[in-house]
Amino acid sequence: MIFDQIFETINSGLIVLDRDMKVCHWNRWMAMHAHIASEDIIGRSLFEFYPELNRPHFLRNCKAVLAFGHFCFFSQKLHKYLFPMAPVGSLVDHFEQMQQSCAMGPLRNEEGGIEKCYISVQDVTEVVLYQKKLVQLTMTDQLTGVYNRNFMESQLSKEIDRCQRYQHDLSLLMIDVDLFKTINDNYGHPCGDFALKTITRRITANIRKTDFLIRYGGDEFCCILTETSQQDAYIVAELLRKSIADTPFEFKDRIFSSTVSIGVAGLNSDDKHLECLLKKADEALYRAKQSGRNTVT
Amino acid sequence: MVKSILIVDDSPVARMIMKKCLPESLGITIIEAKNGQEGVEKYQQHQPDLTFMDLTMPVMDGFTALSLIKAINPQAVVVVATADIQEKVLQRVEDLGALLTLKKPPSKQALADALKRAKEALAQVRS
Amino acid sequence: MNAMVEEIFATEEKDILQEVMNIAFGQASADLAEVIDIFVVLSVPNIQVIQGRDLPKYLLEEIHSSGLVNIIEQGFLGKFSGQALLIFPCGAEKVLLNLFNQGAEAVGGCDIDVDTLELETLMEVGNILIGACIGKIAELLQDIVTYDPPRLIAQDFSLEHPKCCPIDENSFAISIRTVFRFEQEDVEGYLFLITNQRSIEWLKKALYAFLESFE
Repeated sequence: MIFDQIFETINSGLIVLDRDMKVCHWNRWMAMHAHIASEDIIGRSLFEFYPELNRPHFLRNCKAVLAFGHFCFFSQKLHKYLFPMAPVGSLVDHFEQMQQSCAMGPLRNEEGGIEKCYISVQDVTEVVLYQKKLVQLTMTDQLTGVYNRNFMESQLSKEIDRCQRYQHDLSLLMIDVDLFKTINDNYGHPCGDFALKTITRRITANIRKTDFLIRYGGDEFCCILTETSQQDAYIVAELLRKSIADTPFEFKDRIFSSTVSIGVAGLNSDDKHLECLLKKADEALYRAKQSGRNTVT
Repeated sequence: MVKSILIVDDSPVARMIMKKCLPESLGITIIEAKNGQEGVEKYQQHQPDLTFMDLTMPVMDGFTALSLIKAINPQAVVVVATADIQEKVLQRVEDLGALLTLKKPPSKQALADALKRAKEALAQVRS
Repeated sequence: MNAMVEEIFATEEKDILQEVMNIAFGQASADLAEVIDIFVVLSVPNIQVIQGRDLPKYLLEEIHSSGLVNIIEQGFLGKFSGQALLIFPCGAEKVLLNLFNQGAEAVGGCDIDVDTLELETLMEVGNILIGACIGKIAELLQDIVTYDPPRLIAQDFSLEHPKCCPIDENSFAISIRTVFRFEQEDVEGYLFLITNQRSIEWLKKALYAFLESFE
């Protein structure tokens, strides 16, 4: 009696299935979120309502539970969800489907034989949203919205390892705003911020979605061009340089121009780490600065 | 008639369980060996009517011991006793000439059935 | 078996325990072949009793791998309770992902990055392997266990870092170690079942009950 009430009122989905995948119990949470009344689904196969579950991976897990008494876990990270349902409340704005963490386990009779199994469904959408926000916060630069150095160090080393392994091309551009300090000094910091934002916008407009733009330091940016040889990277760098130098900046009736210097480096088979590539690009950038700025080396 | 049985298993408990499950009234002589190599030697020495063979053992595993016993006597009646009864294992054991495979832990019923099958096989060999 | 085993288990108990584990792990191989359609070979389980504080050193010695490892931990609760630690050398997750997705549909959305996919697959595989082994031990000893979800307690974890001990230093652990090999791929993993003192008393009784069931 008490357990029946808990079954119905608990804030999670609970389903009991028999060995033929026919629904024996379907709690109120399931009815509410799946929009299927228990009287409509009880006695019928789960696959009639959720044909997409009738696939090898899910069936394999059912077998593990029913034949061998295993417990199976369907993580949100890997599966996103088992039962398509609308997210609750404002979470609709962020996800198309409710994110779920599900588990499945055996239910035994008095003799210990497995007659049925249960599936529990937990709504983890909110947690996933927080995770996404946290990842975003730790990986992006708050001023310009591009990636930050933290992202570069944690993610790009892996990208470089992968390129090395499969011998793909990859190039790195080290971009430095020429005389950025004078913009700050002459027009004030808000104007400097505006310049940085404008520069990132112009760079982003000229690279592909598969490339990465990182704010490396105050006025230093780093651009990773995937599947790009050093020669092609040089062409891209020229394009970026021109996109910044050719159009003046306009901030509160004030018009000024700014330029960047770019160092280009391509990944060689002997560059074991991100640091090697960074060092090469940095050296190229230094040469660009030496040769009078607004140049690509 | 099965008058002598060789039990090859590295675990003393497994051999004990096997003996417990065998019907006592028949007056069967039991010979024990604790690995494949000892099993082959004792087979040669005693020429038992029936051999129960474990698979995973130190020194020499059951697969090797089974094939060596079959080389000594192609008509040797060997029953493999293993917990790992997956298809591939069963197939390999059958190819090596085992009469049948007994799932561990054995039940009295399963052992009685194995004895019956062994008797039939022996009768065929002897006729 | 080491000296501490002798202190805790009488010779006969030790022999029954070894045989129960032999049968359990053998049957687990067969179940795994059926569930995941992959030929897994489990080595003869090795039973040790270890002090919690010596566990990292012991793991390091047993694994013969100086490299980095991933450890999946899963708690199990029944009369037989404890933690299962499944240890794979780093890189094994890539092989396992290939092995398990052969002929199967890709799970999840396409927005999952490869690293997450690999590690989550590792956890799913871990859950299956751990469940198969513990489930069989429980079944043979007439126990029913439930499990916590698996957790990745250490990712790219160096065993040479002695501070990272997943077990309470002062507790006492029975370690049951098996090495399993996947036939098609050269991946080795180690499974350690760590149970506490409280499980030992029950275990002793259950071992005799197991033997008596053949009378």
